[in-house]
Amino acid sequence: MSQKIIDDIREALPTYDEERVLKLTRDALAQGLDPLQIFEQGLVKGLLIVEDKWTKEEAYLPELMVSADIVTKGLEILKPELKARDIKMRTLGKVVIGTVQGDIHDIGKNIVVIMLEIAGFEVHDLGKNVPIEKFIKKAKEVNADVIAASALMTTTMTVQKELADAINKSGIKTKYLLVGGAVTTKEWAEQIGAAYAADAIAAVRVVKRLLGVED
Amino acid sequence: MKVGLRKVKSLELFSRDDLEAIHKSSLNILEEIGVKIYSDKALKILENSAAYVDRDKQVAKFPSYLVEEALRKCPKSVKLCARNPKLDVTLDGRHIYGTTDGAGTSTIDLETGERRLPTKEDVARTAIVADSLDYINMYYTCVTPMEVSKSIHILHEYDAAVNNTEKHFISGATDQSEAASYLIKMAAAVVGDPEELRKRPIVSSVACMASPLIVPLEAIEPSLEFGKYGLPVEVMTMPIAGANGPMTVAGSVLIGNVQFLAGNTIIQMANPGAPIIYSSYPLSMDVKTGAFSVAFPEATLITVGHIQMGKYYGLPAYGGGTISSAKVPDEHAAYEKATSALFCTLAGSEVCGSIGLIENYSVLSYEQMLIDYEMHTMILKMLEGISTDDDALALDVIRKVGQEGHFLAEKHTLLHSRKVWVPMLTDARPYPTWKEAGAKSVVEKAREKVKEILKTHKPEPLDTNVRAKLTEIIQSAEKNITSPA
Repeated sequence: MSQKIIDDIREALPTYDEERVLKLTRDALAQGLDPLQIFEQGLVKGLLIVEDKWTKEEAYLPELMVSADIVTKGLEILKPELKARDIKMRTLGKVVIGTVQGDIHDIGKNIVVIMLEIAGFEVHDLGKNVPIEKFIKKAKEVNADVIAASALMTTTMTVQKELADAINKSGIKTKYLLVGGAVTTKEWAEQIGAAYAADAIAAVRVVKRLLGVED
Repeated sequence: MKVGLRKVKSLELFSRDDLEAIHKSSLNILEEIGVKIYSDKALKILENSAAYVDRDKQVAKFPSYLVEEALRKCPKSVKLCARNPKLDVTLDGRHIYGTTDGAGTSTIDLETGERRLPTKEDVARTAIVADSLDYINMYYTCVTPMEVSKSIHILHEYDAAVNNTEKHFISGATDQSEAASYLIKMAAAVVGDPEELRKRPIVSSVACMASPLIVPLEAIEPSLEFGKYGLPVEVMTMPIAGANGPMTVAGSVLIGNVQFLAGNTIIQMANPGAPIIYSSYPLSMDVKTGAFSVAFPEATLITVGHIQMGKYYGLPAYGGGTISSAKVPDEHAAYEKATSALFCTLAGSEVCGSIGLIENYSVLSYEQMLIDYEMHTMILKMLEGISTDDDALALDVIRKVGQEGHFLAEKHTLLHSRKVWVPMLTDARPYPTWKEAGAKSVVEKAREKVKEILKTHKPEPLDTNVRAKLTEIIQSAEKNITSPA
């Protein structure tokens, strides 16, 4: 019986029926099931099914995005119980991400955030128009493995260089800077000593490579 | 299979007055100048219909009332049935269909990239590709196989096609009306019998009139056979502006229209009510070199004139499509095909042809088939109309997202993402990702994809008894029809 409801959650995810998935999540909790099991075996496995379909071009990006959104909402339901049981979530690594100061074009960055979360990273999204100090402060606070910064305009891409310099000077433990955004290039990233990803899929791959996580 | 819907107003380059003037001038030419007709059968039909026939010159002059009576006899919509009844289509003005076409005389080999003579295998393979693509609604022989007996090539073409696609079959020209009657026997064997074929016309035929003012034997005699069984005929006209048609757009529209009317009148007098499709594939001359192109602006404009004439007569119109004079699937092919296909479809063409052909529909490129199909689906998307209902205006979700949010994970986005155009070949990803994926040109991508289709797509096989019958019919035709000298 208990396994059945987790199977149901997993199988409901690829139907993108938010109400049903969240109700099943609440029911599973009410049955006293392990919240970590509900999350990992139900929600995340369901999301992996969608991701797999997306990789095979059977599902579209909005379907993957909606699925990730449902999983995030499901996790919110599970969080109090996870906390009550003192369960820590496993994560592949911590990423602090934002669009650099002066730039409010963040749609690409938002996709990267969702993709990194789907992949299993703990993502701290600082939003857009983020001052350099804020990146550094947050990275220090959460002990981030990677800072990711996007820029869409030629006028703001130079801020990525300032950020790279500031990270080096700050002495924080964060080892990697990932840059991206429409105006950036691999050559630019190399010049400022950063890693580069052209799109959200590449971002996940590059962060995994930087942190030595198996793909 | 899927069909394109036309929900936008068609472009009208020619006014009602223009069309009327072309019609009246056509009647004048038919009555006063007449048309050369290379068929005793057709001349006899015209004599019996009170046309003025000069047997020595093989020229017939058509009284206006006869031409107009013939137009009135044409059905206003034409049904093209398919081996699989679920794939039947009706040319009714509300839909846009895609087809291969051409009867080309050369194939660019998929493996070597070199030109070679086309084979029956090319017909079979292009039929498989057409069968696999949702918005290709009919199969017109892409190339004429050169290794089979010339007198019965259309039978081999049908054999290769019907075994590899369930869609409607359009036959190219044959100079043997006997071959046409064997083709009809084959189609009857597929549906059951000739009576069933009359109800379910799973084949139709192109009758290509010649310029200036000629009805050729190979166009009219097979059409008369087809007409007997109620099988639709695409009466096609292909003047070359400046060469066998006047240099002006209006003049070539006029001469083509005369040729169409002559063909239609003969067919309707012999078989009243025969289903006819007004079809046009004109060319225009490069005045610098004397070469001809199907996709110069004038050629496209003449096609538009013919499409509008067809609609003026209340007939289905089939003209233009992804046509080009390019020699390889390159940028030249791309811009000519895109401008021509979009323009002709906007003007109301109900069937867009030439998928897969280059060099004035004479050369088959497998890669081009998929590139053209990509263009075709883009055009269909743009002409299917735009909804502005509450759901489409999306006010609710705009309110929900508000300032600075995003629509990526909204249910509204998800629901509508299944309705937008989705590329098959087009790669919109940024340079580094594209480079990482092999930096493939669209032609290379098309080559890979078409190979995959040929490997994986398995068309519904024909019943083995029917297959055996078709082989028998071809063998008997081979024995009974002698090659033309």
